[in-house]
Amino acid sequence: MTISIGPDQACPQAWELMPWVLQGTAPQEQSDWLHGHLEHCAACRAEFAQQRRLRLAMSLPTDLPLDPEAGLERLLGRLDAPDATASHARPGYWLVRALAAAVLIQAIGIGVLGAKLWTTGPAPTYRTLSQASAPAAPGSIRVVPDAAMTLSDWGALLHRLGLRVVDGPNQVGAYTLAPEHSAPADQQALQQLRAAHGIRLAEPVSDTP
Amino acid sequence: MTEADPQAEAADRALLQRMSDGDRAALATLYRNYHGRLGRFLSRLTRRPDIIEEVINDCFWIAWQKAADFRGDSRVSTWIMGIAYRCGLKALRKHGAEPVDEDSLPENHGPVVDPNEDRELRDWLSKGLARLSADQRVVVELVYGTGHTLDDVAAIMQCPVGTVKARLFHARVKLRNVLPALADAVPAYKDRVS
Repeated sequence: MTISIGPDQACPQAWELMPWVLQGTAPQEQSDWLHGHLEHCAACRAEFAQQRRLRLAMSLPTDLPLDPEAGLERLLGRLDAPDATASHARPGYWLVRALAAAVLIQAIGIGVLGAKLWTTGPAPTYRTLSQASAPAAPGSIRVVPDAAMTLSDWGALLHRLGLRVVDGPNQVGAYTLAPEHSAPADQQALQQLRAAHGIRLAEPVSDTP
Repeated sequence: MTEADPQAEAADRALLQRMSDGDRAALATLYRNYHGRLGRFLSRLTRRPDIIEEVINDCFWIAWQKAADFRGDSRVSTWIMGIAYRCGLKALRKHGAEPVDEDSLPENHGPVVDPNEDRELRDWLSKGLARLSADQRVVVELVYGTGHTLDDVAAIMQCPVGTVKARLFHARVKLRNVLPALADAVPAYKDRVS
């Protein structure tokens, strides 16, 4: 788009120059050229006069009620409250803070769960239905009695050695014996079992599978 | 004052240097020096004094924080006006307001209460500015009001110089068609597409 103010071909160039000549930022030669053009172009002269009036009007102070001293006082007060102002200056401040808090809470939760797992005591004495077999108590003995051994002899032997059946018989007829008291069965009980009539096998249950 | 005033620029830079050292007196001086300009500039974006005050506050808060970062790539006035412009747009988004509440323009509220002889000039200007877009008003303010160059305006508005030229051109065309003619008869303005 080009402009046409007056009949002169130089008018568009005059139009372009007007704001900068009015500002005083146009080079002297351009300013001189414009004023030369204005002398013989009434249309551009009128336009330049209106531009001058526009600049004068634009330079008037605002008509809005603004109080610089009150504003400055608020600004200086803001400088003295860095925390409040920092959050005002950065709208994402609270979001970042909330995210950081969430991460911290998660980290604490993971830490607590990890510590709890670390300090978990010995395996529970109960057995769930999904487990293949009950864990053997410390000091347990696996015993295979002879098929001819009577129930009374078996009961008497266990009573004498302070043992009780905690598991079995399994598919091969083995029982797992454990001491009646919490103390593990000693080596002597194992030897007595092996020496007893009607016991085909007596072996301590290994701690490892 | 013209924006090309080298003495004013040197004084502004000295104030910024002092601000970067934590000198609040320098901040106060710069604030007072710019308050009028910024108030008028921002009044081209919004007619709400509370938003304008808030934007000026935000602008100088940022200037205070960033004074040490000023490298002198532009004039101080360009730097400050750019901050104010961005703060102004941000404040308008925050308040959900249009750039200027057209209903609040002085033209529609009757004559501005102004006891001095400038009232007629203000009314005349208000009639013209009411026809411009916010971007056009800002460009006109920066060129005619604060005396910035095309490059300065492009830096302030963070847009190409060509965009500034286009905005200025269309603003001038509108103003010329809208504003009442001066004493001399002004021929009807014509523009043609070449």
